[in-house]
Amino acid sequence: MSDAATLEAQVAHDDHGDHGGHGGNGAGHPPTTTGLSHNKLGMWLFLGSECLLFGGLISTYMLYRGRASENLGPDQIYDLPFTSVSSFVLLMSSLTMVLAVSAAGRKDVRNVKLWLTVTALLGATFVGGQVYEFTSFYREGLGFTTSLFSSSFYALTGFHGVHVSVGIIMLLAVVGMISRDRIPGDRAEVVELVGLYWHFVDIVWIVIFTLVYLIPA
Amino acid sequence: MAIIERPATEPVVAPTPTPAPIVTPSEAFGTFRRPVETTGWRAWVFTVDHKKIGVMYGAAALFFFVVAGLEALLIRAQLAGPEGTVLSADVYNQMFTMHATTMIFLFAIPMAAGLANYLVPLQIGARDVAFPRINAFGFWCFLAGGIVLNLSWFLGGAADGGWFMYQPNASVPFSPTNGVDFWALGLQIAGIASLTGAINLIVTILNMRAPGMSLMRMPVFTWMILVTQFLLVFAIPVITVAFFLLTFQRSFDAAFFSPAAGADPLLWQHLFWIFGHPEVYILVLPSFGIVSEVLPVFSKKPLFGYPFVVFSGIAIGFLGWGVWAHHMFASGLGPVSVAVFATATMAIAVPTGVKIINWTLTMWGGKLRFTTAMLFAMGLVVQFTIGGLSGVTHSVAPSDTQQTDTYYIVAHFHYVLFGGSVLGFFAGFYYWWPKVFGKCLSERLGRWNFWLMIIGMNLTFGPMHILGLQGQPRRMYIWTTERSGEGFFNLGFWNLVSSIGAFILAVGVLFFLTNIVHTHRKGAPAPLDPWDARTLEWITTNPPKEHNFDRVPTVSHLDEFFHRKYEDVGEGDAHDLRAVATAEEVLAAEQAQADAQIHMPSPSYWPIVVAATLPVIALGIIYGVYIVSIVGALLMVFGIFGWAMEPGTAPDSDFDPSPVDDGGPTTELVRSE
Amino acid sequence: MLAVGAIAAVTLTACAEDAPQDTWQPEGENSTRIHNLQWPVFAIAGVVGLLVFLAIVWVVIRYRDRGQPIPKQSHGKPALEIALTILPALILVGVAVPTVGTLMALAETDDTECSVNVYGQQWWWEVEYPEQKGCGGIDREFVTSGQMVIPTGTKVLVSGTSRDVIHSWWIPALNGKKDMVPGRVHTVRTQADEPGIYAGQCTEFCGLSHANMRMEVVALDPGDFETWKANQLKPYAAPEEGSIAAEGESAFISQCARCHVVDGLDDGGVNAPEQFVYSRTAPNLTNLMTRNTFAGATFDLLTDECRERVWEATPEEFGERYLEGVTPECLNEVDLRAWIKNAPAMKPMYTDGTKLGPTDGRSRGMPALGLNDDQADQLVAYLLERN
Repeated sequence: MSDAATLEAQVAHDDHGDHGGHGGNGAGHPPTTTGLSHNKLGMWLFLGSECLLFGGLISTYMLYRGRASENLGPDQIYDLPFTSVSSFVLLMSSLTMVLAVSAAGRKDVRNVKLWLTVTALLGATFVGGQVYEFTSFYREGLGFTTSLFSSSFYALTGFHGVHVSVGIIMLLAVVGMISRDRIPGDRAEVVELVGLYWHFVDIVWIVIFTLVYLIPA
Repeated sequence: MAIIERPATEPVVAPTPTPAPIVTPSEAFGTFRRPVETTGWRAWVFTVDHKKIGVMYGAAALFFFVVAGLEALLIRAQLAGPEGTVLSADVYNQMFTMHATTMIFLFAIPMAAGLANYLVPLQIGARDVAFPRINAFGFWCFLAGGIVLNLSWFLGGAADGGWFMYQPNASVPFSPTNGVDFWALGLQIAGIASLTGAINLIVTILNMRAPGMSLMRMPVFTWMILVTQFLLVFAIPVITVAFFLLTFQRSFDAAFFSPAAGADPLLWQHLFWIFGHPEVYILVLPSFGIVSEVLPVFSKKPLFGYPFVVFSGIAIGFLGWGVWAHHMFASGLGPVSVAVFATATMAIAVPTGVKIINWTLTMWGGKLRFTTAMLFAMGLVVQFTIGGLSGVTHSVAPSDTQQTDTYYIVAHFHYVLFGGSVLGFFAGFYYWWPKVFGKCLSERLGRWNFWLMIIGMNLTFGPMHILGLQGQPRRMYIWTTERSGEGFFNLGFWNLVSSIGAFILAVGVLFFLTNIVHTHRKGAPAPLDPWDARTLEWITTNPPKEHNFDRVPTVSHLDEFFHRKYEDVGEGDAHDLRAVATAEEVLAAEQAQADAQIHMPSPSYWPIVVAATLPVIALGIIYGVYIVSIVGALLMVFGIFGWAMEPGTAPDSDFDPSPVDDGGPTTELVRSE
Repeated sequence: MLAVGAIAAVTLTACAEDAPQDTWQPEGENSTRIHNLQWPVFAIAGVVGLLVFLAIVWVVIRYRDRGQPIPKQSHGKPALEIALTILPALILVGVAVPTVGTLMALAETDDTECSVNVYGQQWWWEVEYPEQKGCGGIDREFVTSGQMVIPTGTKVLVSGTSRDVIHSWWIPALNGKKDMVPGRVHTVRTQADEPGIYAGQCTEFCGLSHANMRMEVVALDPGDFETWKANQLKPYAAPEEGSIAAEGESAFISQCARCHVVDGLDDGGVNAPEQFVYSRTAPNLTNLMTRNTFAGATFDLLTDECRERVWEATPEEFGERYLEGVTPECLNEVDLRAWIKNAPAMKPMYTDGTKLGPTDGRSRGMPALGLNDDQADQLVAYLLERN
């Protein structure tokens, strides 16, 4: 899904200009029928679609969670305290994202950059945690093809990890583009759109964390 | 592409060719200067104009229609007699797999996308879609997907597991060529096109309607496209997951569908059909929209029960999610699940029936003109009804266990998809051809086209009802006389009839292709309003200008255009419709108030650049040369950054000459040519 | 025209007599239940289709443009609309209720008296008769292939699975389809009223030779069934020493026993079927000549004349003729010899050694053995005694 996920960036940055032809002249947003900007509406639809993507992966995992090879099942392998901490880190990144969006609303460029960077760092910490987790699982013998459980576990959490990584790239790209004033269109909205995506990825993690880690197999 | 209206004190014809708008390097965002050509191949390849993209979608889809049609002819040639020898078992299996895949993913979906691209903005009074570059990107993804899919023919054989690609038959031990890999990744790429296109069109429809165009004043075609796109938004990710799991299984040794590893092969079936059944409605709803436009125009009556038609379309969209397992009645689900899905399947017949009834009542009491477009639309009503009713017969699950996977099902869905989708598209071609190309297709050739296709399709697919009920299973590369019987319903005779029908059908399509060539060589320019149409897309020139409307029309009625042309002067219950304005007058009135300044989105290199990286990534995965995939992915990231930093519409300063301020707008447009 | 045609087709189909897989000629309990449900639905669908078609014809004739004034721009009549929505809904409720009832009745398997297992494999069916009290009592499990023999008037529980890809068990005259999925066991109840041979075919696309994967159910009256069963269980009879058949036995052991089992023949080294992977075992040939087809019921073991004698027999004659089996006079030697010498030429199978990487070089289906005429003679002679 990384292809589709990166479209996020395009959705976020596709300046629709005034080709809607509602009499705008290029400055700001022309009025839209719903009042929502194209970009925001598009992002919501994209996220709706993503729900089904994760829905499919989660269903696959739920079907196969019990089909593990001996001693390498969910109950043996998960390190709950560790994952709880990294989940908490990811949740906190939603908070810093909120701060970034709010700073963007105030046109406080310095704080936007600050909080976006912090969000990206927290996200990177989470991804780092996931890499560590995967590595240790692998060392214990749980490869991608070890069992149906491992394949569906890695597929699900891996896809989520890719989503977070894409989010980090987007956050850093926005920081860079703000610094060099390279963002076409409404800057606050771009931050907000990235924020929407980021919150979505966090919420998905809450679901995954609950279903995968907390509920015993 | 950028169109600048030059306000002037007096109307002038540009004395000299206007210089092309220049993007000065210092002003240009992004990595390259943007393309500026408005003619030649560059104007198409880098375009973001929804009309050009729509035409490209249509042309590519038509090409794939011909390809898949030829595949069908080979299939029918093989089955014309017993123990056919035209194709080997292996090639036959590839042939029916690719016939279905191509027809569905490379013809029906993109053809609907093309029509929607071209017409939806015009029907809602917009100048383009919400995300023009994503629109272009979607088209190139579709084309890239189609190419990857068909490359397999030349690289060791195409996919051979059927379009439903049931597992584990499509896993490596049972399908050792790369065909299935090409299939999964090609469709994955085409899926990106569908997803981005769907988001784009939904946003366009919800957000860019002309003033006064409430949802319940939208043309039904636009409505059905809206429903279809919602189905795509939610169906595509499910099949995306299925394709990923399949690719993991085949290329990375995962075992999602290997019973040996304890996997349940039915997982694939569920994922596939959760996508696959909404997909059926994705294929047929656009055509429902088309006939809902065509029938009123040629009946000179509004669509009967507009809200019922709209809501039944929405109902089909919703119910379409609850019926997927009716493809799996024989797969061993429990009787309770089967009962639930059977009942849901019957329920979906209600809104479908509502549509048939409303179309019939639209014509009832009308003033019917049997143009080719009208003939195709009426053909749809009749043929789809047959398909719908045979559908009801196998919503009866016990009965379906006798019919599923026989030719009876093949008959059913061809009446639905050919009788529904394809006839609808053809109605749309004949109806909108003058809008898109400025010339009407020949009615004389059109009639040949229609009657040959109708006779051909009934000869091809009608006998398949008999074949199926006589117990001929699908997907068999040969049938034998031992199992064909001798009576009136013997398989031999009806297989032959079916094959003859297929070739008649092909001749019908040939007439259409001839018609295109003939029209473009010899056709006279079409009148502004050749059909006495009813909707907004006709309040502009044929073909429309790049900015669609000189002024965005204000809408006060369903069937706005009709109401601008006619008024009911009857009193009380009496009615007496009088023409009050010609189409030319309506258009002139609009043009008189043309907008002063219109900026259109500017062409861009990035959509095709980004889309072109996808097949590179796919080929790397298929052949296990991951470095190629990585290079492709890096190129893609580069492309996305270029894209992100490029404004959708080049800033004013990019254009030369800049608009001069003055005393009032004129209708004289100076194009950047 | 079309609707009429469709109705005519549907009603007339029921009258056709000679298509062995006709879905409209039920010969057993399940299929009769299905049939009683389906024909009224077809009739209703036909009537509705006819009404729509007549309405369209009427509209075409009555409302073509003859210069009449532009009709009233009416957007519809809600009362009529609602009525026309409720009407089809009611019809469908009328269809749904018996559907659910039949569905539940068909799923019932507790009343079965005899149990037979089937295993789908690319591209043939193995039929296994487990030890049981049912079926008149079976005290030793035995297997056959291609043809399932059942006693008439007995409800038989067919339990099936697959050893490789998904197949579907379907005998149109007796029961609807049931997919046989690797890793799952699916059941279907089957029962035949009259002695006879009921044709069927695999209906879930299962790869290269899907078209050549057929099966038959043979119903014998209970007395004949006992005879058949006793014959299946008789001990192995080695060929007379010095006969061609005896040479055939050694040829069989060296050439065929890698995959084919003949019960009682000391073959050594034939493993149990390897589940899920791909076919490694081939049909059990212990009583080959009691069946009248081979290679996935694709080819006849009987000559055309003899075949007709069995297939065209009346229910009364059938049992006796079937139990005659394949006599030397009736053997379709041409096809059998051709098959033994070069099977892939007759039925597409995955036997090309260059393309068997993913299956560790093991073929799916019978490879060409490269036998000479003498060896073929010997094998045919040996097999002829497997009766």
